Amino acid sequence: MASRAPAATGRLLVGFRKWYYNACGFNKFGLMRDDTIMEDSDVKEAIRRLPEPVYNDRMFRIKRALDLSMKQQVLPKDQWTKFEEDFPYLEPYLEEVIREKKEKEEWAKK
Amino acid sequence: SGVWNFGSLLGLCLITQILTGVFLGMDYTSDISTGFSSVTHIWRDVNYGWLIRNLHGNGASFFFICIYMDIGRGLYYGSYLYKETWNIGVVLLLLVMMTAFVGYVVPWGQMSFWGGTVITNLLSGVPYMGNTLVQWIWGGFSVDNGTLTRFFGFHFLLAFVIGGGTVVHLLFLHETGSNNPGGVNSDGDKISFHPYFSYKDLLGFVIMLLGLTSLGVFSPNLVGDPENFTPGNPLVTPPHIQPEWYFLFGYGILRSIPNKVGGVLGLLFSILVLMVVAILHTSKQRGLTFRPVTQFLFWTLVGDMIILTWIGGMPVEHPYIIIGQIGSVLYFGLFLVLVPLGGWVEN
Repeated sequence: MASRAPAATGRLLVGFRKWYYNACGFNKFGLMRDDTIMEDSDVKEAIRRLPEPVYNDRMFRIKRALDLSMKQQVLPKDQWTKFEEDFPYLEPYLEEVIREKKEKEEWAKK
Repeated sequence: SGVWNFGSLLGLCLITQILTGVFLGMDYTSDISTGFSSVTHIWRDVNYGWLIRNLHGNGASFFFICIYMDIGRGLYYGSYLYKETWNIGVVLLLLVMMTAFVGYVVPWGQMSFWGGTVITNLLSGVPYMGNTLVQWIWGGFSVDNGTLTRFFGFHFLLAFVIGGGTVVHLLFLHETGSNNPGGVNSDGDKISFHPYFSYKDLLGFVIMLLGLTSLGVFSPNLVGDPENFTPGNPLVTPPHIQPEWYFLFGYGILRSIPNKVGGVLGLLFSILVLMVVAILHTSKQRGLTFRPVTQFLFWTLVGDMIILTWIGGMPVEHPYIIIGQIGSVLYFGLFLVLVPLGGWVEN
């Protein structure tokens, strides 16, 4: 019984995360989570390091979302980004940029 | 979206106020013996003076509707992250408030006199030089002729200071470009100002001018105080001294703190808190479009401001005192604690 409890909690958490993902609403514009991250200097550098196909896909999604927002529309439901299909494409590059920045700061202190 | 129209609408409000104000200034006399009657003269004798005065008085209300909507847009969509533009905007808000305050004293009605007396007296809370400062502002030992003449001068001058501040505000905005409802980078999707935004702004102008003219013609005293139809009298105190509706939320905060200096600081910080919003931004997303938890907190803030506005117009007695105090704590709590916490949780 004790081994079933964490699985139930885990399913509950995933269910909540999925509900929250849909409540956020960016998927209705065809955006992924990493498309909505605010562009500070670290994020700008991470975007610069994206492979070209990934960058082009990002720009397409953002342009489409801006157009939909301007027309006060959303995509048809079958085109909404699904929770299972969303992946943090920017995260590895962002973590790399932040790691490099910290390393530079540590080096500058010496 | 439509909420981006309020910037250009504020420009239109400023031009309207300056134009109507200049025409009012041609017939107004800033002396306590003739000030009130010169306004009556404008109303009754000057060609379309009644309309110019209506537009100027109600134009001030529309100015504040537009400025509060502009700030609300900035808070909701994270436009405050354009820090220079935002901080100049807060300075402009303070200037507009000062202009409206001194402008309300100009007609020299009962509420002009007593509202001016209450608010200028708050400066006596400044340590050591408080009383000297108040008498310096008054130009005498009470709100009197010296006060009226200089307040009229300040009112005229500040309008053009606001104009200059607006130019600087726009200069900084044009360095970055506008934000958008998605809070995403729109550099790859720009469209020309004309015809898209010229016609959009023109539609906004038509709607606002229609609203202003309707209010001025059909119901010009809807948001005014009847006490201001009585000439200012230092020997007769009105039972309920209160400012115009756009200052009531601050008045509610001021009166909630049972200490003069504390109340003044509460009033001051209720505006200056806007300057720390950018520093307290914790979310990875810019705006609230995709953040349901913080959206709830934003609308709680709007509701709180409506309650504080209501409280500011009520007498200082139970249960309005405790409601005002809870509202004031919630106001600062939302800005300083709850919204940053919401952003962190939603990360």
